[in-house]
Amino acid sequence: MTARRLVLLSSEANVASDEEESPPPRHGVVGHYLYPGELFASAEPTSVTTILGTCVAVCLWDPEREVGGMNHYLLPYVVGAGHSSPRFGSVAIGQLIDRVVALGARRAELRAKVFGGMTSRMNARRDGTDLGTGNVLLARRLLGEAGISIVAEDVGGEKGRKLVFRVRDGTAWVRQL
Amino acid sequence: MGRKKILLVDDSSTVLLLHRMMLSEHPYDLVFASDGQEAVEKAVTERPDLIFMDVNMPKMNGYEACRVLRAEDRTRNTPIILVTTRGEPQHVQAGFESGCTEYITKPFSSLELMAKLNSYLGAGDAAEGE
Repeated sequence: MTARRLVLLSSEANVASDEEESPPPRHGVVGHYLYPGELFASAEPTSVTTILGTCVAVCLWDPEREVGGMNHYLLPYVVGAGHSSPRFGSVAIGQLIDRVVALGARRAELRAKVFGGMTSRMNARRDGTDLGTGNVLLARRLLGEAGISIVAEDVGGEKGRKLVFRVRDGTAWVRQL
Repeated sequence: MGRKKILLVDDSSTVLLLHRMMLSEHPYDLVFASDGQEAVEKAVTERPDLIFMDVNMPKMNGYEACRVLRAEDRTRNTPIILVTTRGEPQHVQAGFESGCTEYITKPFSSLELMAKLNSYLGAGDAAEGE
C-alpha cells in the first residue's frame, strides 16, 4: 500500500512536509475544483483543487495584492483547432498571467509554482520528450521568458498528484496518489 | 518492430466504435472488452501494450479492474489510461489509487488522444505506415 504523503509547499519554497490528509480549513475560504483544460483566477480567498497526471498546473500569485490563480493544461502545444484553448500550455500560461493581472496583480510581483508532469516508467519515451516532461519544460521556459520566478516545484515521478492551492497567499499542498 | 496492441474497454458499443474510428488511421491492433471483468480476461490472454478503459461499467468498474490488473503478474506493468467524464474528479483520484497510469477526461479530440497514446506507445511506431 502506497503511503499517502501530503507535502506543504510554503509561499517561498518547498520547505516542509506533513502527514496531513488535507489542508486545514480556513473560515471564509471558498473551494473550487479545476477541471483539466481550464483555468481559474480570483482575488477572493479560494482554495483551488485539481488532480494531475502528465498534465501540469501552473500556480501564480501576487503576495502583496493577494491575487492568484491556477491553470491545468494537458499538452504543451496546440494541436488541432484549439488555438485559444487553455487545454494547451502555450495558451494557458499566457492566459493565466493576463487573468491575474486583470484582477489587480502586478506582473513584476508575480511568483509561480509548478506541479505535475508525471513520467511513468511505462512511458515509451525515455529521452526527455515524453508528455509530462514536455509540459514541465514548457512551463519553465514560458515563465522564464515572462520574468516570473518559480519558487517551488513538485514535478515528474511516477505518481499522480492531488494539488490544493490557496490563491491569496500561494500556499500549496500536494499529495501523491 | 511489431504493431502495438491497444485494449479498448467501454460498455457502450457506440463509444467503442467512436474510439475505433479515432484510431483507424493509425497502425495499432485493437481488441475490445465491454466491462471490467472481460477487460481483465482479455488483458491476460491478448497481452496488449496499453489498456484504454472507461470508469463506469457493469460487472466490474474501471478502478476495480485496475486493481486486479495490477495484482496480476502478466499485466502489472501494462499502461492503463482511464477515461472519465468531466464531472467525476473523485473517480480520477480513485483511479490513481487503484493503479491507473494516466487519465483522460471526456470530451477529448482524436489529436489529444493520440498525444496521450504516443507518450506510452511511441510516436515513431504510430507513424509507421502513415
